[in-house]
Amino acid sequence: MSMPNKADCFSSLPFWQNGPAPGAFYNFPGTAASSSNYNDCGIQRTQTPMVTGSSVIGIQYKDGIIIAADVLASYGSLARFRNCERVMKVNDNIILGAGGDYADYQYLRSLIEQKIIDEKCLDDGFTLKPKSLHCWLTRVMYNKRSNFNPLWNNFIIGGIEDGKPFLGTVDKLGTAFSDPVIATGYGAYLATPILTKAYDANSQMTEEEATNLIYKVMQVLFYRDARSFPKYHLGVISKEKGVEIRGPIEIEHNWEVSTMGRNQLR
Amino acid sequence: MFLTRSEYDRGVNTFSPEGRLFQVEYAIEAIKLGWTAIGICTSEGVILAVEKRTTSLLMEPTMVEKIVEIDKHIGCVSSGLMADSRTLIDRARIECQNHWFTYDEKMSVESVAQAVSNLAIQFGDSDDDGSAMSRPFGVALLFAGIDEKGPQLFHLDPSGTFVQYDAKAIGSGSEGAQQSLQEVYHKSMTLKEATKAALKILKQVMEEKLNDTNIEVMSMTPEAKFHMFTKEELQEVLASLPETREDSLRSTSNMTPSIRTSLSMQSQ
Amino acid sequence: MALVDREPSRYLPDYDVQAPKQLHFSPYADNGGSVVAIAGDDFSIIAADTRLSAGFSIYTRKQEKLFTLSSNTVLGCSGCWCDTLTLTRVMAARMQMYEHEHHKTMATPAAAQMLSTMLYYKRFFPYYVSNILAGLDSEGKGVIYRYDPVGHCEKNYYVAGGSSGALLQPLLDNQVGYLNQENVEKVPITKEKALAIIKDVFTSAAERDIYTGDGIFIKIITKDGIATDFFELRRD
Repeated sequence: MSMPNKADCFSSLPFWQNGPAPGAFYNFPGTAASSSNYNDCGIQRTQTPMVTGSSVIGIQYKDGIIIAADVLASYGSLARFRNCERVMKVNDNIILGAGGDYADYQYLRSLIEQKIIDEKCLDDGFTLKPKSLHCWLTRVMYNKRSNFNPLWNNFIIGGIEDGKPFLGTVDKLGTAFSDPVIATGYGAYLATPILTKAYDANSQMTEEEATNLIYKVMQVLFYRDARSFPKYHLGVISKEKGVEIRGPIEIEHNWEVSTMGRNQLR
Repeated sequence: MFLTRSEYDRGVNTFSPEGRLFQVEYAIEAIKLGWTAIGICTSEGVILAVEKRTTSLLMEPTMVEKIVEIDKHIGCVSSGLMADSRTLIDRARIECQNHWFTYDEKMSVESVAQAVSNLAIQFGDSDDDGSAMSRPFGVALLFAGIDEKGPQLFHLDPSGTFVQYDAKAIGSGSEGAQQSLQEVYHKSMTLKEATKAALKILKQVMEEKLNDTNIEVMSMTPEAKFHMFTKEELQEVLASLPETREDSLRSTSNMTPSIRTSLSMQSQ
Repeated sequence: MALVDREPSRYLPDYDVQAPKQLHFSPYADNGGSVVAIAGDDFSIIAADTRLSAGFSIYTRKQEKLFTLSSNTVLGCSGCWCDTLTLTRVMAARMQMYEHEHHKTMATPAAAQMLSTMLYYKRFFPYYVSNILAGLDSEGKGVIYRYDPVGHCEKNYYVAGGSSGALLQPLLDNQVGYLNQENVEKVPITKEKALAIIKDVFTSAAERDIYTGDGIFIKIITKDGIATDFFELRRD
């Protein structure tokens, strides 16, 4: 959020402090005039993701939140890095999952880790809360997109605040919302229906029921999403047991059916 | 005492050991050299009256403009360094227009006083917000205006302090005038009574005889808003004032009033 | 023949790795949503659906899009959700600053003018938001202000905006404004009638517009404060 700085107390200052000045964006990137100038201006911004992670899914259960993401980081269609953890523990009451550009995620992770260290140094007993991180991340993402230098990610934030589970998400534009069921990437199409159905049927599922559900959903994603991998991490957070990052968990898979049709044809 | 004072009165950034900012106090003193201005707030409206000192008989008296319009609903009179008052008045006008531009409503009198006060205290060290004034403004202002809270009168001094008043006098004759205001003021005063009272007090503290060129009077009413008295209106009010003994004394004095004024300024 | 002539990689984008795929970055998204507001002599009603979506994907079915700015002003937003989040936060901060600076709550017409200037200040990188501001004026009469993304502001007493704006405005013209009706007594709208119309028009919008649905939040602004209502819509 753009907070008024101290100068605001004395004079009417700009309405907008982190955005571009009015009139500064006549040439939007991608138009013929500006795209040729990319190399001239000396800075390269992320206009496109390079090494990417696929879906991230999150669901609320009785005592807390579960977030899951597989371990694959693809370079286009190439399954380039096959052991990349995409779920992190932020502190004792927040977990975070990331999809999209892996380098951008690593950059943001270092930022968050530093934030947590700074906060530990204060040693005042206060810790970052999930809604605060969610809001902060929304501002970071929005400000980056406003400078046409986005972090190409989808984040899912899970945590416990005031004893209640919180599940929220932010994308590369700063679009943010919270819901008991969230899935990004192809997960939005493949996982959301399964997760929503299960959640609507039983919003008070146990941790075991939830992890089993997640397993099932990750399996569906592995079968249908070509950029997925049969290995994933789980971030589990609950009031009683705190944060736990589990994994890598292997997904059992069976492709025998894929050869059946072919044999018949021959 | 004198030694301590001289050590701590060079800069505006240093408090004296007694906790005073001498430069600010001196600035307040500077106003006491200025012309006398009086403001009275009644339920019908606000009246501002000020003496105009012409230091030379050859000076064009209409050039001296001591009561100015900030916005249609706010008038202002200053006492002290005229040039400094211009800067503050300019800010007040800008703030009013800015407020109208952003909120499509009249700025309240208190908010104008607050905004000008913010500028008035920006002396001392320059910082990120830009260079600051190196000294306090040597001017006091009276804001007379009408907003949704009704007629109001605000006083602003060089320290940036602003206070609402029912009646207030500033300038060289302010001490005597304030005393007289205290005596004559009452809540149910009409605007007409207030105008007469203001001029009567002005007459007491001014060395010259009142006429239609050496005073300025403004009324701020809900109907007419900012209104400067014309020569005819001034004459009408002046005619209604009772003749005092001093008047006859003054008219027989062979020393021209303007020279007396400049002499008294020098002696201070 | 034609197939062979063309570059094969055009048909196999997955294997086209010489240059990274140029996904062009757009800072805007259309997250849909509709807002309808009707003002009467002593009230103002504003309603917004609760669906947040992007394309064929529904992000959430219970996203409140009405932002209570003061005890008699409510802002309804639809369009680019990230801009909405930012705009409403800046707006809330400015409302708070105003209260500190001027020792009073910002009136609805003042908030309306401020919103217009705030939008115009980003004329060349606009907030892609369709705003509708509902409230009471200084006399307690209901007022509605509608905006375009760059700050054009227009005072109305019934308005539809957002993804179903074009669909609903003519309906309101007819039902609330009595336009194109003959031999009809043009009575000022009552609170109950306005509420019923709002529920009806949203039901209609949800039938035809995939970006509007799930439910509506309704805020009824009167001199006594703001009452909230919720109404279910179809969820497909």
